[in-house]
Amino acid sequence: MVDISITVNDKLYKISINENMRLIDVLRDELGLIGTKEGCGEGECGACTVIMDGEIVNSCLVMGFQADGSSIVTIEGLEREGDLHPVQRAYIEAGAVQCGFCIPGMVLSTKALLDKNPNPSDEEIREGISGNLCRCTGYNKMLEATKKAMEYIKGE
Amino acid sequence: MDIKKVYNSKSVEEVIDILGEYGEKAKVIAGGTDIVIALNNNAIEPELLIDISKLEELKGIKVDKEFITIGSATTFTEIVESEIIDNNLYGLHKACKMVGSPQIRNKGTIGGNIANGSPAADSVPPLIALGGIVTLKSIEGTREVLLEDYYYNPIKEKELLLNIKFERPKDNQILTFAKLGLRKALAISRLTLSSFIEFDDNNTISFIRVASGALAKFPMREKELEDYLLGKILEKEIIEGAIEALRNSMDERLKGRSTLPYKRIAISTILREILEEALAFEEGVKAW
Ligand SMILES: Cc1cc2nc3c(=O)[nH]c(=O)nc-3n(C[C@H](O)[C@H](O)[C@H](O)COP(=O)(O)OP(=O)(O)OC[C@H]3O[C@@H](n4cnc5c(N)ncnc54)[C@H](O)[C@@H]3O)c2cc1C
Ligand code: FES
Ligand code: FES
Repeated sequence: MVDISITVNDKLYKISINENMRLIDVLRDELGLIGTKEGCGEGECGACTVIMDGEIVNSCLVMGFQADGSSIVTIEGLEREGDLHPVQRAYIEAGAVQCGFCIPGMVLSTKALLDKNPNPSDEEIREGISGNLCRCTGYNKMLEATKKAMEYIKGE
Repeated sequence: MDIKKVYNSKSVEEVIDILGEYGEKAKVIAGGTDIVIALNNNAIEPELLIDISKLEELKGIKVDKEFITIGSATTFTEIVESEIIDNNLYGLHKACKMVGSPQIRNKGTIGGNIANGSPAADSVPPLIALGGIVTLKSIEGTREVLLEDYYYNPIKEKELLLNIKFERPKDNQILTFAKLGLRKALAISRLTLSSFIEFDDNNTISFIRVASGALAKFPMREKELEDYLLGKILEKEIIEGAIEALRNSMDERLKGRSTLPYKRIAISTILREILEEALAFEEGVKAW
């Protein structure tokens, strides 16, 4: 076992984890944050995307102990006092959510993109979510949702 | 996975000591984008993992009078965002930008790309074309090796890859890169080419290195193509001749391989792309 301290969604956890755990295992099995999904387990699909120290990463490719001292945002961390985050709201309104499996990762990639670049071009939006695969939508709805979210965030 | 001990290492010295003591039982982990998959599939079974991804000593890009040095734990995203790796070094920027996905680029490192040893490692052809030199360190000492020779004598179990360096490009030198993958975002590249070309005052090629990825067991110089282009002016017929020169080398090297007919055709697209980018540079136009 190895001791780590990580901040997840603004809460500090000091926990002891098995050396073999990946970050996704820590989040789901140790902290019960099952909004983060495991699809391929090989870095291809992006379903396991979380924001680590400000940048999106595949939590299936990070070892748990490597996250010691890091700050993580998962999909559970986006709500604001019971309200949805503007990116979440925009995704629902644009009809970008079908089966939903890709959505936690997709929404976090969109949020991280808009945090860095509040006015992305269509190409930059597509690039920003290019590591998140969706079997259902064809991505145009995500583009639409992201543009809606841009407006909501500007209006805040 | 059956890892017994993990280290969030504090210094290069500490990593070297642990590697020296445990040898093959210990493995370094940087971005994890290759090794975590291998661990998860039990393709490798180390007892110890040493994280180097946060070691400041191994991160970032430094410039001195002669060399540009990139620390092994520098991520693709950091390279893409660097102002140093731009303009005459555009080919390296482009190669790093075309790696995987944003998530992979945020974690994957240049040292991991080299040390993993894949024939399709995207950053390697541009670094070979630049004449890159890799520095490796172990308890037995430090060695420097040209990246183009590295594959004949790759990293040993006790070694840590410290950095890669290359000479600062001159104003009349340009690095270009092109890649043919299955899908832009995620396909691990199947074919890459990179050229480092110097033009003299008469627009003649006065120095050239070309390196390929996935045209052999590992990335390598394309000497026959270089010999053909040296001393020439990049004109239409010369570019066509260059394609034939590279095809000749491929015919010899890949004789009998099922991929050869495809690669013979595909190579013309990316060779044309790197030479036309170089030509645009020579004509004072930015191709990007
Ligand atoms: C979905 C996906 C897409 C990808 N797409 C591409 C692509 O388009 N192009 C491409 O080139 N690659 C691609 N890759 C492969 C991978 O991202 C790169 O090879 C990356 O550079 C590996 O770096 P890392 O830091 O993640 O290495 P790690 O996984 O941490 O390590 C890889 C190996 O190198 C060793 N190592 C790492 N750093 C050092 C060091 N400093 N000294 C000694 N040994 C070291 C490790 O022990 C391990 O054996 C992709 C991978 C995935 C999962
Ligand atoms: S589960 Fe991590 S990328 Fe697919
Ligand atoms: S909504 Fe089903 S995978 Fe994206």
